Amino acid sequence: MQPSRILQALQYRRLRLTTKDVNKGYYKGTRTGSMGRHTRYGGYRIEWSKVRTYVCPSLDGFKLTPFVTKKMEPTRGVYEGYKEGPKDPKLYLARWKAENGLD
Amino acid sequence: MAAPAMRPPLSMGGLSRIRMMASTPTAPIHPSFTQRASLSTSSVLLKRHKYVGARDNRDHSKSRGESAMRGTGTRWRLSMSDEPLPRPVPREKLPPIVTDPDHGLWEFFYNRERIVNTPEEDSKHGRAWSVEELRHKSWDDLHRLWWVCVKERNRIATANFERENQKLGFGEAEAAERDKEVLKTMRAIRHVLTERFYLWEDAVELAKKDPEVNLTGEGPAFTPKDYLEEADAVEGAADATKVPEADAATSPDPAAIPSATSTAEAPRL
Repeated sequence: MQPSRILQALQYRRLRLTTKDVNKGYYKGTRTGSMGRHTRYGGYRIEWSKVRTYVCPSLDGFKLTPFVTKKMEPTRGVYEGYKEGPKDPKLYLARWKAENGLD
Repeated sequence: MAAPAMRPPLSMGGLSRIRMMASTPTAPIHPSFTQRASLSTSSVLLKRHKYVGARDNRDHSKSRGESAMRGTGTRWRLSMSDEPLPRPVPREKLPPIVTDPDHGLWEFFYNRERIVNTPEEDSKHGRAWSVEELRHKSWDDLHRLWWVCVKERNRIATANFERENQKLGFGEAEAAERDKEVLKTMRAIRHVLTERFYLWEDAVELAKKDPEVNLTGEGPAFTPKDYLEEADAVEGAADATKVPEADAATSPDPAAIPSATSTAEAPRL
């Protein structure tokens, strides 16, 4: 499909897709997922197995905050000898061997 | 009279029964009964529009002669006129409201005395965590740090709501700045976890080719090469002979892999 000339000129394709841009049946959603299912009669039945429950871990004695002191510059890692830097699987394996190596 | 048939079968005194009926608006009761209140004893005086000496209006207007401007009041006597009305208690004299000092909702506020921090207090924050700093943190630490960030954002959002609600008119910029730093930290946490997962996937592929690593789940997962040379090792040569099997182990045991990550992801710092 090619948009018409005017829409090409307006850089239409760079706009985000909305439900107005396509035919019916397109469900854009809100990236939130469903919490139940629709009934035959147009209602909605909540399924509690699908409802998300977030469990906060115990924060007792946890001293980290969202912030780091500004007196400290952001640290830079040293990844000498690793081609991909921190994303090198060799580094991961070497660290595993050095620190764990059990399971 | 139809009313007695409607009454509930109660074995009470006559006065209390009348009071009961007057307080139940759903039962269809004769109007003369509804006018009865606890104080009045005469039903005749309380009949609506039919007090003693009432003239009949020609137009049968129910509110003939009533005027708000002249303050005439109603044309009939109100049964509650002599009832002492409850007086509002001043706020100081009310008993103090007891709240739980350790309630979880307190975590939505920075301060128990003030609803909103001053801009100076809000701007007293450091920088966000960098990705490199978080790379050295364990899964548990990152998980908990995420929730610390969530709680911080909750506090900021509560203060923003109050700022809007009370029309305080200051501190938005400082709160937004603070929120931005928290979001940067959260973004870094996500970055680290995503990177770690892909790294682990690549490392498993690499480990399949590594003769030192045994992914079958039988025997030790890792046997260092220099370990073979040490004759006086603790485990002995029995485990060391298993090392060549690692080459044959192309399909890793699914039970072994997740455990490998969970501990490998938790470096001791």
